Amino acid sequence: MGSRRDLRVGIAALGIAVLALTGCSGTASNGSSGGSADSGVGPITFASGKDLTGAMPQLIAQWNQLHPDQKVTFIELSASPDDQRNSFVQDLQAKSSKYDVLWDDVVWTAEFAAHGWLEPLDEATVGGSDVLPAAKATATYDGKMYGAPFMTNAGLLYYRSDLVPKPPTTWAELEADCAIAKANNMDCYAGQFNQYEGLTVNAAEAINDFGGSFLSADGKSVAVDSAQSRAGLQQLVDMFKNGDIPPAAITYQESESADAFTSGKLLFLRNWPYVYTAGSADGSVIKGKFGMAQLPGQNGPGISSLGGIDLGVSAYSQHKTTAKNWVAWMQSQESQKVLVSVMNQASVLKSLYTDSTLNAASPYLPTLGQQLLTANPRPVTPNYNAVSLAIQKNAYAALQGKVTVDAAITQMAADLKQAIQ
Amino acid sequence: MSTHSGTTRTTRDARTRRTSRTARPNEARLAFWLVVPAMMVLTVIIGYPIGEAMVRSLYGDTIGGTAPFVGLSNYVSALVGTNSQEFWASAGATYLFAGVTVTMETLIGFGMALVMTRAFRGRGLMRASVLVPWAIPTAVTAVLWKWSFDPVGIINAVTGSHIIWTGSEWPSRTAIIIADTWKTSPFIALLILAGLQIIPDEVYEAAKIDGASAWQRFRLITLPLVRPALLVAVLFRLLDALRMYDLPAILTNGANGTTTLSILVVRATLSQLKPGFGGALSTLTFVFIFLTAYAFVRALGVNFVGRSEK
Repeated sequence: MGSRRDLRVGIAALGIAVLALTGCSGTASNGSSGGSADSGVGPITFASGKDLTGAMPQLIAQWNQLHPDQKVTFIELSASPDDQRNSFVQDLQAKSSKYDVLWDDVVWTAEFAAHGWLEPLDEATVGGSDVLPAAKATATYDGKMYGAPFMTNAGLLYYRSDLVPKPPTTWAELEADCAIAKANNMDCYAGQFNQYEGLTVNAAEAINDFGGSFLSADGKSVAVDSAQSRAGLQQLVDMFKNGDIPPAAITYQESESADAFTSGKLLFLRNWPYVYTAGSADGSVIKGKFGMAQLPGQNGPGISSLGGIDLGVSAYSQHKTTAKNWVAWMQSQESQKVLVSVMNQASVLKSLYTDSTLNAASPYLPTLGQQLLTANPRPVTPNYNAVSLAIQKNAYAALQGKVTVDAAITQMAADLKQAIQ
Repeated sequence: MSTHSGTTRTTRDARTRRTSRTARPNEARLAFWLVVPAMMVLTVIIGYPIGEAMVRSLYGDTIGGTAPFVGLSNYVSALVGTNSQEFWASAGATYLFAGVTVTMETLIGFGMALVMTRAFRGRGLMRASVLVPWAIPTAVTAVLWKWSFDPVGIINAVTGSHIIWTGSEWPSRTAIIIADTWKTSPFIALLILAGLQIIPDEVYEAAKIDGASAWQRFRLITLPLVRPALLVAVLFRLLDALRMYDLPAILTNGANGTTTLSILVVRATLSQLKPGFGGALSTLTFVFIFLTAYAFVRALGVNFVGRSEK
């Protein structure tokens, strides 16, 4: 008797569990169908990477005051881009509307768009003439914009202004200045050459400098197998061989290379603008002894790879109109000023690089603005991670001297072809 | 109806179980029903994901739209096709790491266990401190060793060498093997120590009286008696080492020939969003580990499910 009751209780419990599960999915589907019938206006969520500056709550508070019926809720994700991407991908694959507005690293926009996870945006609204063309290119896939460029970034050449009177503008000038490094018992130049995303950035810059590129502009065919690409990679390989780049740089990511420069062991450094803060902090051994210039190139200033963030509207959002208005508002001059002054990040608007108030706080802004005008997006392709891995692996082998530049580029072309299939 | 009568009898049986231990068929039926919920939970949390990954591995990875059925072509691609070079290179790296680290950890762990089993002042402290590396999360260990193996890190400073540890193939692999051995030897030591503790002292005393040397006592008493515990420890470590992920992922990110099978799976599934190919890779990894464990159990006769030998 007792056990039969137990059995019945068990079955009932199971039934409840099943009901709960199906019930959940029922609500979810009801919700989304309700969403599409809705006017698209209402509260939304905004997910961004970790914000250490307090700028995001400030921006959101301003918006919420203006739009009390369309409040934005802030979801703060991990500081690691890989973890951010995993959070997005998991929810998007499940067609969840948890995130209305996504914080897309510029290299994800094409991938997310190709999967149908992003809502196309109006080019006139989020791609106006004041938006940097390269930033706009990162958000464009198949001729449509799938993100509102929000934040951008370019690499700059840090140099020791106490030792180098005038920063080099070409690779040849930089190598000539390496004699100064030798005389001062320092290493000459370093960027990021560990096998990771940073190497893709550095290899892209060298190859772009000499007129090469990895993929065609539409991202659908491989373009790397050229004399220009070989010349670009050769530049870095030669510098490793002749010691202008120290052997340890093969292990450098951003922070290791920045440490080498801020501890006074390096004459030239390629890095993002953030090193300015550490270098000019009280107690820094290079405080007041360094400057920032455009990257060196083949015959003049070089081409930077572009970093940054596009704000995307989720295809599963239930309040898309509000979401679209929010990303456009985040790109407005007012919001972008908060981005520059509070977050210390680079704006996507050209006009802000000549703003005297902002330049007083961050004196490198005009240089960065110059660098951004010629910057190149990294390959825009839905298979970005596979593409980047193909670039890293082969460039790394060449820098190590394990394979010749010629063989590395040939293999890179083959690997890229497989990656974009 | 039958359930009803069965139930009453079973309840009575349960009450009298202490005196009569005879298992009736109805008791078996009750046992079956009692196990059912656990089996259902296991099916849901273990069977479903494994089955799902296997089914998914038969489908392609086209972006957008529904994934096409591609049969075994993901497996073919990994084993003999376009991705085979990468796959076999990482299988080789995985087995290299597993072979070297498990051997070193067993030797070092055995030594540690032999020391810890002795009665001496401060033994408790010794046992606790030996376990510290095992208690630290692997990811944290990996970061600590990454700093240590930096070109300007403590290892080069102490040894006076200028090796760029994570900058080429064998130094990278050595670094990973050192880090893994440091971390996991205590685990083996603890399992072996448990085996050593159950060897009665009388056996050693009798051997001593018979004039057996220390080496003979070790070879003829310690080794055979600790063998079951030792083999279980090695088997566990082997399974663990074959799915190594954190250390190479953090120390080298898979560069310089340190890409293990697990790194490959994570890369395909999470980084490149190819659940089909990733599913095939994870199934292959599962099969490899299973076969290795099976071969190990068959070859050495590990009694690891606890069946009595007879």
